[in-house]
Parts: sequence; C-alpha cells; structure tokens
Amino acid sequence: MKNYRLKPPQIIISAFLILLIGLSYILHMDLVVLMNESMVKLVMNGVLVLSLIPMLNVGAGMNFGLPVGIIGGLVGMCLAVNFRMTGFYGFFMAILFTLMICTLLGWIYGLILNRVKGREEIAGIFIGFSFIPLMNYFWTLAPFQNREMLYPIGGQGLRPKISLENYFNHILDNYGLISIGNIEIPVGLIVIFAIICLFLYLYFRTKIGRATIAVGENEAFAKLSGINISQTRLIAIIISTIIAGFGICIYAQSYGFIQLYDEPLSMAFPAVSAILIGGSTGKKTFIFEAILGTYLLQSMYLLSVPIANEILVPELTEILRTFITYGIILYALLVRERRGIYS
Amino acid sequence: MENILEIVNLNKSYNGIPALSNINLSVKAGEIHGIVGANGSGKTTLMNILFGNPIIRETGGYQGQISFRGNKVNFKNCAEAIRQGIGMVHQEFALIPDMTVGENIKLGRENTHSLTDRLFGRKYSFIDRKQDYENAGQTLRRLGISVDVGIKIINLSVNIRQFIEIAREIDRTDLKLLILDEPTAVLNKNDGLKLIEILKDMSDHKIGIIFISHRLEEVQYVCDKVSVLRDGKLVSQYAKGNIYVNNLAQDMIGHTINKAAAEKREMENKPVITFKDFSVKMPGEEVKNLNLSVYKGEILGLTSLSGHGKLALGYGMMDMYPVDGEVYFEDKKLVKMNARTNIIKGMYVLPDDRQGLGILADQSLESNIIFTGNQIKNMFIRDSAFNFLGFIDHRKTNLHVYKMMLDLDIKCTSIKQKVKELSGGNQQKVCIARALTVDPKLLFVAEPTRGIDISAKEKILNMLIEINRSRNTTIIIASSELDELKRVCDRIAVMVEGKIFKILSPDSSDVDFGLVLSGEEGVDCEKL
Repeated sequence: MKNYRLKPPQIIISAFLILLIGLSYILHMDLVVLMNESMVKLVMNGVLVLSLIPMLNVGAGMNFGLPVGIIGGLVGMCLAVNFRMTGFYGFFMAILFTLMICTLLGWIYGLILNRVKGREEIAGIFIGFSFIPLMNYFWTLAPFQNREMLYPIGGQGLRPKISLENYFNHILDNYGLISIGNIEIPVGLIVIFAIICLFLYLYFRTKIGRATIAVGENEAFAKLSGINISQTRLIAIIISTIIAGFGICIYAQSYGFIQLYDEPLSMAFPAVSAILIGGSTGKKTFIFEAILGTYLLQSMYLLSVPIANEILVPELTEILRTFITYGIILYALLVRERRGIYS
Repeated sequence: MENILEIVNLNKSYNGIPALSNINLSVKAGEIHGIVGANGSGKTTLMNILFGNPIIRETGGYQGQISFRGNKVNFKNCAEAIRQGIGMVHQEFALIPDMTVGENIKLGRENTHSLTDRLFGRKYSFIDRKQDYENAGQTLRRLGISVDVGIKIINLSVNIRQFIEIAREIDRTDLKLLILDEPTAVLNKNDGLKLIEILKDMSDHKIGIIFISHRLEEVQYVCDKVSVLRDGKLVSQYAKGNIYVNNLAQDMIGHTINKAAAEKREMENKPVITFKDFSVKMPGEEVKNLNLSVYKGEILGLTSLSGHGKLALGYGMMDMYPVDGEVYFEDKKLVKMNARTNIIKGMYVLPDDRQGLGILADQSLESNIIFTGNQIKNMFIRDSAFNFLGFIDHRKTNLHVYKMMLDLDIKCTSIKQKVKELSGGNQQKVCIARALTVDPKLLFVAEPTRGIDISAKEKILNMLIEINRSRNTTIIIASSELDELKRVCDRIAVMVEGKIFKILSPDSSDVDFGLVLSGEEGVDCEKL
C-alpha cells in the first residue's frame, strides 16, 4: 500500500461527503445515528464489492456478471426459507446452499468467460441480462412450498419481495451489538466482513493466488512459466461468484427481504462504481480499495437522502444516486489506461 | 550545409531527478548523426522530446531551446512533430497489431480513389487498397525483405516488425528528419547492413538522420558525427574519421570492458535432446522439419537470418505455439508438449521478448525470481499443516533472493523493488536468476543481449558460460549476434528456412558464416 495516491474520483466524493456532513450538522441531524448506519451499510454492500477482486486480479475485468453470483445466493436463501430454517441455523444453511449453488454457477460462468477472453466485461453484462429472465421463469415455476414466500393470491410463484422477519432478519446486525452511549458497533457483522477480507488476503498469498495475480498481470509470462491459465481463471471466477452469493445473503439479512426477479440486475453497477471510487483501475486491486470505495459511496448515499429530503425535493436523491453510480463508471472508462501507440 | 536541427542547453528532469542536462546538439541536412550511450543515459528521453511525446509535457516539460529548420519548436504531441517532417522508428514497436503490413505502412498517407475524392473530399474518400499494397510492397522490396503485405502485424516476428516500422518511415515523402531508436538491435548483421545502405541513400537525399545504436561498429561505419551521452550529459562528440569503437565504448561507460570468451574444449557426444522432423508454427519464425541433436553439457549457438526460425525452438518446447514431430529428451520421447511437465523434466526458456514474456513488471524482484520455482517445483513453501495451500516461507525466499542478487550482481534498491524500475540488463539478470532457481538441465536462451548496453552484455554472456561450466547445464542460445555466439559457443547451428542448414565450428570465418546464413551450398564444414 506504499505510494498510495488519492485519485480524482476519491477526492471529489470525499469533498462531497465532507460537504454533506457539514450540511447535516447545520441541519441538526443526528450524526451518531448516521455513523452507526454507515457501518451497517459498509458491510451490507462491501461483500458484494469484495467479490469483484478475484476476477479483477486474474485479469477478467470488472464482474458485470455479478447477477450470476447474486442469483446463486438468492436461490440458497430461498431454499433455507422454504425449509423453514430460522435463526442462525437458517442463515448458516442459506450460506451452505449458496456455496454449493454458486460453485456450480461460477464454474459454468467461468467456462463461458474463458471463451470470450478479453471481452469479459461486456460478456458479463449480457450473461447477467440473459440469465435474469431465465431465472424469472424459475421463480414462478419452482415448486417452493412455504406459503410465506408465495403470492398470497393463487399460491403459485414466489413473491418479488420475501420478508425474512420470521427467519434470519438482522441476524448478523444484532449479533454482538455493542452500545457505547449512542454509538452502536455491530461486532458480528464486522467480524464476518473481516473474515471475508482475511480469506481474500490469504487467498492471494497461496500458490494459486500468486498464480492468479501473475495471470492477471502478464498472461503470456504465466503461460511460459507453465501455469494453467484456464484453470487459474476458472478458480478466480468461481471464488468471485461464491463471495457474491455470500454478499447477497449478508445484504438480505440487513435489508430484511429477499428481492427476486429483476432486482439483481441493478446490483452490479453500484458495486463496480464503489471499487472504482476506491481507486481500482480495472487491473490489480487491493482489498483496502474495495473497502474505502464502498464506505465513501455508501456513506454519501446515506447522508444525501435525509439532506435532500430536508432542503430539496425528495426525488432528487434517487436521481443523484443513479447519476453518481453510472457517472463514476463512465469516468473510469474515460481515464482507464489506454493502450495506444504513443502511450 | 545548414543545420536542420539545433538543440541549445536542453535540460529535462523527472520528479527532480535530472535525465538530461545541458545538451547542445546540431544536425545538418543529409547528416547521419549517431547517438550512443549506455542504458539510462538519456537517449530515449532526448528522442521523446524531439518527437513531441506527450510524456514529456506530462512530467513537466523541458528547459532549453530546440530549433527545427530555423524555427523554434516545442511539439505538444507526436502528430505535430510528424507534420513538421520528423519521423521516428521506435525501439518498442509502434505498429497497429490488428492491421495488415500494407495498412500500417501507408497509415495516414493512404492512396484514395479519385472519384470518391471528388465526391466526398479526401478525408472521407475510399482507400485504394491495391495501390497502397503495391506501394508498401515496393518500399519493402527496397529494404530487401519479402513479406506478404496482407498479413496482420500481430502474426509477425519481432525482426520483421522492425523492418515494417522502418519501411513506414521510409515510405514518407515529406520526411526531413528521421530518428531511429536502435533500429538494428533486433536485426542480424546482414539485415543491419541492408538498412545502413538505405540510410546512406536517404542522407544523399538531404534527409537528416539521428541514429541511436548499441552496435558501435555500425555507428563507426555509418555516422558522419557521433555524440556520446553518459548519465544525461553530453560527454564527447566525434566527427567522421575520428570515430573509433574503443573510444566510444570508453566514453559510454567511463571505463574499459573485458569481453567474455569461453575456453575451447572437447565434448562427449551424448545427446541430451534430439529433435526429429520437429516443426513449430510460430508466425514469421516457423521451424519446419528440423533435425538436431544437442549434446550434454555443451553450449549450442543457433543463428539464422530474421524469420528463419531460430527463436521458435524454445517456445515450441513450452507449448506457446503448435508443434509437430518427435522430440527425445534424455532418450525418452516427449509425448505431449506441456510447459509445466517440461519444466519439471528440466527444461527452461529465457524469452527474447523480455517485457512481454520474461518479467512480471509490476511485481518485486523477489516474486519474479522465485515465481517459476515456487509454482512448478513447489520451492520456498512454508512447512505447516497447510502445505497444500502453498504459503511462502519468507526466510528461505529472502536468503535465496539475496544470494542471487549478490551472485548475479543485480543492481536494485531492495529485493522488494519493482522489476519495471530496473534497467534492461538487470531485468535480464532477474530472468536468469529465475532460471537458476529452477536449475534446469537444458536452458533455451533467446537473444540474451538484445537491448542491453555493452558492459552488461559481457556480464550476461559470462554468466551463461559460468552456468554451463559449474552446473553442467546444456544451453541453446538463439541469437543474431554472430560475434557473441562465436565467443561463447561450442558449436553453432545455422538455420535456413526453418531447418538446420549447417553446423559450424565457432572458429569458422565470417565469410563462411555469411555464405551459410544466406543458404549457399559448398562451404566446407568441419565434422561436428
């Protein structure tokens, strides 16, 4: 992490964030509550952002096919809810189902991406786009039994929003919650986040992890050194997909609902903009960059909602949110290292 | 003759580190001006300034004055320099890989159909591809190489690419000043001579030429004037008649150098590897039905004109390109080419394209040196219950890397320094250190001294001899530097059109080599 230089998007977002904090102070908002919530938001979205790292480092670019992993996680949770598994046991089983489903999905996804080497990002977008309608059939036709998941009228097909109230709603948020005055520290949530960070950190220090980074940096070099390129890429893509599945489980337990149908489609872009704000250039990315980017982006969203409600029209926040999410991606594409003749 | 280029008191620094200080230079129309200097002496920076490379502006511009054809200039980008009539042949190839040879040569100067010219204006006119290809073909024939102008650049070997790049500049009619950054580095002697003839012809047409080269013999032969750079300063200038290789070499590095030379010896003729009808489909460097036995413990030189296949052998063994035919390694037939299993069996390849294949530029010296040993031979792995995960044992690694650093004299600030910050010679040493870590029985080396300054060159060659003698490693050196091969090798195999044409003793005369290289029969070869 030596020679870490702040990049323009980080400076802009940070300045905006400071402005927002200043405004919220002037408007007498409860900063402590907002800070507490920002921790939850960090972990809630952070795991999805972390899931991008293995694919970035193996040279497969931004995982715009994030919906693949997310769908794996959704299926995992739906299974757990269907069998009425509650509490920690329920969440654990959801994670276990996710692990199995995402390994399979990641493997297929990886095989496809290995065939479109060099164009993974655009392929990922379309894999996401085409996978979601396919899954829409699944959600309506799959023989789930739990009435709480099904449409109340007719009793067939899953609801777009399944409440986790009776299952594992806030199971991590509330575990080991330490309150000091007004400040709440969700220890359970942070520990889970730390474990995933540690896992990634250790992964890149294993033999296969070092090969992963080498493949991402210089594929021809890795090939000449006898590395199995396809296999290395496949493993990185599977790991990305699995972490994305875990990410949606953690997201859902914080949010309180499983969101099905077209919802996963919109999840890839905020994750990608977060990692770009953190300073990733589409190549080797550090865990720190993912965390920083998520925190900056999510805190900004968090603060802008009440402030805009206070001083502007409420609809503006959603516009702002969309604008920043997509604008950052566009910006990153503009400044991304171009491989030109005289570069 | 008037000066077409005048540089007065030129200064340039990167982040406070001076790269050029007080350079004064002038080039006359029709003059071939040589610039020599070791790696890191500021040659490339000087060229970047002259050609308006944006990197100069991005890093704070330069101080001093440059006049081109009497006008003060300060180019903002390369396009501006090109408009003024400056051309440049780059050391790293500035060709578009996905376009064909003809398209690359005529890029920006395409012939267009006159009808559409009138209809849409020249800018939006249809390109007359046939005419383009014909022109490009003519230019290439002037250079004396035969390559299909319809082939994409990406499919060609480095040597041919260099010619294409030269052809692109030569094809221009508005050229006033041509800058050549090591144009002959990837060419062999004959091709180099061909190029030099072209340059002389251009200088007769009053085109100023700046010629950067590591090959001092060429500089002595071709240049009207030579400037020597050392550590960003202009240390000396010689005019034609006073240019001597020894003086240049001494000025370049500030001390004299010892040339590497291997002692002659008797070899046991026990083959370590035998190729039978071996073919490698490396575009532009194809090996076709090659038959060759390499003896245990020898250093075999492999040379050919560019495009005749000397580089492809090692890459073929590492499964970089499709292969065909039979190979016996230590009397066992290799069934399938696979880089991993071949490295385990004891083969290793040092590639000619160092930047592209030889190093992980963004990673540390340490990671680079241990990479293959660690990945393929499970070396440097920490003993623990998690052996299968392969965490690194940093104590073992440090010990080994420090030893390598001292043994090979790699100049770096620490073993954690990024390899891209090292000079070409030190990068090559890092590659050699990686090979030594794997400790191969058979080492393929391709162009080991390409792009390396003269003092480092001899160190690299000495290192190869030392590895061969102390570890009994069989080494196959593919190189176009005949002079170096003759000093280092036990036998030199000459390839013509992808086959072994003759095997010569290193004592054979240059004339014999010249004849054999061009495929002439009738040269007496010693039985080897």
